[in-house]
Amino acid sequence: MLVKLFNTLLMLLVALSITGVINRTRAILAGRKGIRFMQHIYNVGLQLRKGAVYSPTTTILFRIAPCVYLGAALMAFLFIPIADLEPILSFHGDIIFVAYLLSLSRVAIVLAALDTGSSFEGMGAAREALYGALVEPALMMGMATLALFCGYSSFAEIFSTAQELNTNLTVVLLLVAYVFVIIMFIEAGRVPVDDPRTHLELTMIHEVMCLDYSGVDMAMIHIAGWLKNSIFAMIAANAVAVVICFHWWFAALLAVLGTGIAIGIVESLRARNKLVRNTTYILTIVAMSALVLLTGFLLIQNIEI
Amino acid sequence: MYIYALLVALAVIFAIFLAPLRHKVWVATGVTAIAAGTAITLAVMSLTGGVIELAHLSTELFGSETFKVDALSSLFLVIIALASVAVVLYSRGYVESYLKRFSSAHISLHYTALVTLCVSMMLVVMSSGGFSFLFSWELMTIASFLLILFEAERQDVRRAALNYLVMMHIGFIFLVAGFVMLYNVTGSANFSAIEQYFKIAAPLPLFIILFIGFGMKAGLFPMHIWLPEAHPAAPSHVSAIMSGVMIKTGIYGVIRMMQAIDHNIELLYTIGLIVLLSGIITGLWGIILAAMQNDIKRLLAYSSIENVGVILIGLGIAAVGHAAGSNLIGMCGMCGALLHIVNHSFFKTMLFMGAGNIYSKMHTTTMNQMGGLAKQMPITAILVMFATVAICALPPLNGFVSELLMYIGMFNGVSDGHEVLYSVAAIIALSLIGGIAVLAFTKLYGIVFLGSPRSHHVAEATEVDNYRICAMAIPAVMILFIGLLPQVAIRPIAYIAEAVTGADSVAAIDYFSSTLTTLCYVSWALLLVIALLYFVKRHAQRNRKIETGPTWGCGFTALNTRMQYTGESYSEGMENIAKTLIKNTVDGRSVDKSEIFPSKHNYDIKHKDKVDSLLGQWWVKMLHRLNEYVMRLRTGRVNNYITFALGFLVVVLILTLVGII
Repeated sequence: MLVKLFNTLLMLLVALSITGVINRTRAILAGRKGIRFMQHIYNVGLQLRKGAVYSPTTTILFRIAPCVYLGAALMAFLFIPIADLEPILSFHGDIIFVAYLLSLSRVAIVLAALDTGSSFEGMGAAREALYGALVEPALMMGMATLALFCGYSSFAEIFSTAQELNTNLTVVLLLVAYVFVIIMFIEAGRVPVDDPRTHLELTMIHEVMCLDYSGVDMAMIHIAGWLKNSIFAMIAANAVAVVICFHWWFAALLAVLGTGIAIGIVESLRARNKLVRNTTYILTIVAMSALVLLTGFLLIQNIEI
Repeated sequence: MYIYALLVALAVIFAIFLAPLRHKVWVATGVTAIAAGTAITLAVMSLTGGVIELAHLSTELFGSETFKVDALSSLFLVIIALASVAVVLYSRGYVESYLKRFSSAHISLHYTALVTLCVSMMLVVMSSGGFSFLFSWELMTIASFLLILFEAERQDVRRAALNYLVMMHIGFIFLVAGFVMLYNVTGSANFSAIEQYFKIAAPLPLFIILFIGFGMKAGLFPMHIWLPEAHPAAPSHVSAIMSGVMIKTGIYGVIRMMQAIDHNIELLYTIGLIVLLSGIITGLWGIILAAMQNDIKRLLAYSSIENVGVILIGLGIAAVGHAAGSNLIGMCGMCGALLHIVNHSFFKTMLFMGAGNIYSKMHTTTMNQMGGLAKQMPITAILVMFATVAICALPPLNGFVSELLMYIGMFNGVSDGHEVLYSVAAIIALSLIGGIAVLAFTKLYGIVFLGSPRSHHVAEATEVDNYRICAMAIPAVMILFIGLLPQVAIRPIAYIAEAVTGADSVAAIDYFSSTLTTLCYVSWALLLVIALLYFVKRHAQRNRKIETGPTWGCGFTALNTRMQYTGESYSEGMENIAKTLIKNTVDGRSVDKSEIFPSKHNYDIKHKDKVDSLLGQWWVKMLHRLNEYVMRLRTGRVNNYITFALGFLVVVLILTLVGII
């Protein structure tokens, strides 16, 4: 039980610090002094103390949606182990449950965006729904690759048995990690798919859906975003940790620094995609994950024969 | 006994025709309720006490064939019974507005057909012999044809109904051919003879012929084209029962065939692959087309095609898993498929009823004229919300449970190394279907119920009567029950799946029962967390300033409701990817880029299925070409015609001389 609690607390720490690392990396690369490491947490703290403005167009759904968004992300978050630690919740097939919880949170935020009746938020909702639909197979194939290697269908079991893996699979696991990091880029609305810093509503995706949220609701959406980031970062980090050093401290550190710095570097060095290119970009990732799965399958076949 | 059955049928018809106009529905409801009660009793008795034979029901008409209720029949009996009661109850409110327009006989015919459809579906799943099966099947087709024809003064309704009738009979020919083949070889047309047939004759031809016949009813790609035409034409409660239950009778037939191949591993494997592949194509095709539709009922029709695909994916995985020797995969696939049949019958019935509520108030099913209906029709909005979440297969509702079972099967296939590639193909297809379903149904819900009204009709819409709400509540309760207590709901399903596959699967059932028990706790926890978060939020906002302000227009101040995102723009991205699958028909003209101040434009785009035009076009073209040849003979001169007559006589003469005629 203690281990499970520790796992959750550490995950929470990971979730809170990834955004900080991204901001610091960006500041350093741009040669700025930059904001404090904890600034995003202070911002959310400020929002949590504020009132709210609701549009008269919206229904009760608009007020429940952030709770569903956060609630679903929180439940998914409780299934993720940090390398050899045990998560609080786990059952056979929880990888599917987690994927569909993320889908549920997406439905909540998309419907909330459509509830405002704003064409800009509709635009964001349409893009989010499309990208979400396209990225789903990549996510599932990434998980199927893990299941293929480890012979299980729950996160806890996958990563607890993964230590006995054959070293031949190193490259494949690294590629799985890469796929998950890219999925995180897409799901979290980061460059090159979306740019959280953009201020033109026409080109925004994730941020434009929350235009009408303020105060506590906005804070909830931010927190859910951190939790979702940490889920993908941790799965990717675990996949890497399996082949390098399977310990919780390593995986946690890798999740924070690896993904944080990666996102920071990508955001500093490259521009975002043209919007029409995004679908191609996502489909490339889907193709890539299919390729990874196939390579893994062939490798396993060869080893066993 | 046959005479008695006929007498009862006549009595029901007389009762419906003689009842006063407003009470016809209650006669129909009463009869359906009795039939449904009997069906559920039979199903429960069969599930607890084994197969029930209703031997004497049909001896005069079909010889030695009997009606019997086994495990598989009882599953279908239950969903048919529940949907029938809900639909007949619903029809009261829907038909009410037509009572003044249509004659009494017209209304009576409608209710007679409705009752006939319900009863004939029950007969279809109970008949064990081929000829009684075909009889009930045909009865079902004709009843549903009459039901589609309800608004027969509309030309599109007549065309759709005729199209339906023709398509169904093409399917029927295949079924008859299949059963005749069966009879020829084995001397019996019973379902149980299929097993014998598969042993003595080449099994694949029979399977494929029957698969096409059943697939026509189920809406299998490329035979799905009647669905998106028939559903928008039919009244909503008819679409509900046709889409929710009737197309499942096609799947019933497929399962019956799969049941017959237990021992032939090679055949099971081949058939599993056929079913899996057609499931994947049907599912993907259905949902991609669904996402692009701008008519509520067309969208729902395409989504039914998708769900049939999902069910077939489950069945295919079950067959492949069994053939590979894995009970776990087989059971997961079979239970997932059976549960999805049940689930889909609930949420699709509900969605079509919701569409009916909207149609009866708005007199249109075009999404782009709606918006903000949640304020006018709050209860409908809440009920449809349930169905939407369920059909997107999201936790914590029932759609997720069945897809989870299928996924568990597939992931076990991947992790145990059984048929990895097929499992992976199914995983990709199912996840893509799930993702696009989210796109399609957020579009449906968001454009119809949320936002601001796009036309003035919305403001005049009001909530529907309580009978219709009650009718929608029946499936809603079942959705919640299966979603929140999956480990209870799975028990009868697992029992039926065990009976269907004939394999001893205690270990497999234990495996996923424990998963579902945990899922139950986790689902409740999810609801609790969401409720808690909402409560905490409300509590935190209690003493703060909560203001109301207009939706942020991004600096633009002259916003109007016509500027909202439309259904068409919502799915534009999908359309760009999938434009090869569709054929657009455009009415009017879009705004030209050079028009700085656009004038008034009329622009209506419809996304037609390419298969539809492919199938429709080639024979139209052929007929045209044939006509051209024939037209050359029609010269209009009498002497030519006399030459033709002479030529004909000469040909006859020669043929007689040669001895051919």
